[in-house]
Amino acid sequence: MRLNHWCKNLRLAAFIAAIFAHGPLFAESVKSAYDLVRGTAKASKELNYRGVFTYEFRGTLRSIKVVHLVRDGQSYEHIVHMDGAGHEIVRRGDDVGCTRPAEMLLLGTEFAADNSPRLDDLYSFYIRGNARIAGRMAYMVEIRPKDKLRYGYVVAIDKLNGLMLQSMLISQSGKPLERFQYVDISFPGELDNIQIPEQLVNSQQAPGCLESSEAVDASASKWQPTWLPSGFVLSDIKIDSSTGDESWMYTDGLALFSVFIDSAEKSRRFPPVDAKLGTTVAVLSKVTVGEQHYAICVVGEIPDATARQIAASISPRASTIEGAVQAIK
Amino acid sequence: MSDSKERLAESVSALMDGETSEIELHRILKEVGIDQDQQIDSSDSVRGIWQRYHMVSASMAGEPVDKIDLSASIAVAIDAEDTHRQNPVTRFASLAGRFAIAASVAMVAVLGVQQLNSPDPASADALQFAEMDIDASQQNTGPALQFPEGFQPNAPVRTVSAGGSVKTSQPPVSVVQVRPVNSMNFSEKQLRGYMDDIMLRHSNNAALNSNRGMLPFARITKSEAASSQE
Repeated sequence: MRLNHWCKNLRLAAFIAAIFAHGPLFAESVKSAYDLVRGTAKASKELNYRGVFTYEFRGTLRSIKVVHLVRDGQSYEHIVHMDGAGHEIVRRGDDVGCTRPAEMLLLGTEFAADNSPRLDDLYSFYIRGNARIAGRMAYMVEIRPKDKLRYGYVVAIDKLNGLMLQSMLISQSGKPLERFQYVDISFPGELDNIQIPEQLVNSQQAPGCLESSEAVDASASKWQPTWLPSGFVLSDIKIDSSTGDESWMYTDGLALFSVFIDSAEKSRRFPPVDAKLGTTVAVLSKVTVGEQHYAICVVGEIPDATARQIAASISPRASTIEGAVQAIK
Repeated sequence: MSDSKERLAESVSALMDGETSEIELHRILKEVGIDQDQQIDSSDSVRGIWQRYHMVSASMAGEPVDKIDLSASIAVAIDAEDTHRQNPVTRFASLAGRFAIAASVAMVAVLGVQQLNSPDPASADALQFAEMDIDASQQNTGPALQFPEGFQPNAPVRTVSAGGSVKTSQPPVSVVQVRPVNSMNFSEKQLRGYMDDIMLRHSNNAALNSNRGMLPFARITKSEAASSQE
């Protein structure tokens, strides 16, 4: 009798062990999904590669050829749109040592003294098995947001060098909204002979690299948002003091949105609108301070509702209002 | 006697005649158990009814009537039997076993549901991209002053992925939707140009600030780029 009991329990134990040993669920989590995603920032900055990728959204397909080269700590990028008018960009990329806020947030480095949530507080990361993309083996990683304020992603990360080979933006209902995917990619060797134009070597990289881990200074701005989706941090700000135009960029490490404040005459005639191009939404709203009209536009790859809420929350600082009142007097 | 008790008494009577169904028998036994737990020991309890009926039937058959309760001693005898005595170790093991089954079923359910909910990255998404087109066009039927999202087809070309309404060789244009408000003096073209310009400024910023390498550059196209240089 008792032996029978033990046999039953033994069978149970075997069953449980079988569940735990079931391959893709646990076996591959040696390197965590979050670590894989973190690794992509470094890989995309430091690797030499040449490839063609496709960008697909709303039944439209674009193909883009890119070359990314790193020489003496400086990076160079060459981007050619293969379809349509054939738009081409040759530019100096970020130096290997350059860190931008988005990267700090992705890596989870201490940044912007306030206790903003870390990336893994905002998203859940799961490894969803393997795939073969552009002839290379890759891990599929799902990045699922923990709230409704942002989109999720499914990305494919090269097993050997950690480069992101595919990236899909996933709506809250689980549908893909857009997809980037390499169809062909090759790494060093043949890239060593490429000559970089002198002019490009001596050019400047785009401003905005962080010199310390301090938050981006927004004190010069005349405006401030009273509500932001959690985890989003100001990563770039440009203020044109002559026109009063401002441009801000926020990121949570994965998603990005911009806020443009235009006092330009040209935007004055326009009514408030919602616009959408592919996955990019734009919410234009109008604010009048004193006698000055402003157009406030929130643009980004974020859900419409989030964009609208941000746009509604942007208001002039107290000093801006006082200034306007005095101007009228 | 309440209605249900009366029915129960009927069942007991049927039981004694050997005419109960399996379900009725179980109901009676359950009632006996409940009565015992609640320590109801009046003549009203099922047990009491049962005993009374036996006495009645015995007296009618001319047998001597005596109220001897053997149940307690039988229960003691059953408890004393080896099969029913519970060893604490085996009891723990069987409990743990049951718990393990429940836990593993729960885990399978949780993992299974997660995987069901998540989009399957390996599957071909062409279909879903095509569906999205339909969604997009449905979403944009609405308020006044809305611009059509596509152009007239000017080339008899169908691309492979063109599952939706945009079957042209021209680049997609932004869907601009005016929120109803008092009319202002503006032209559609200017507004579209302004919105395209804003989106381009965003794409440029995003390409510089994102972690996704060169992928965001795909959003920037020539026509849009030209307008930004003005």
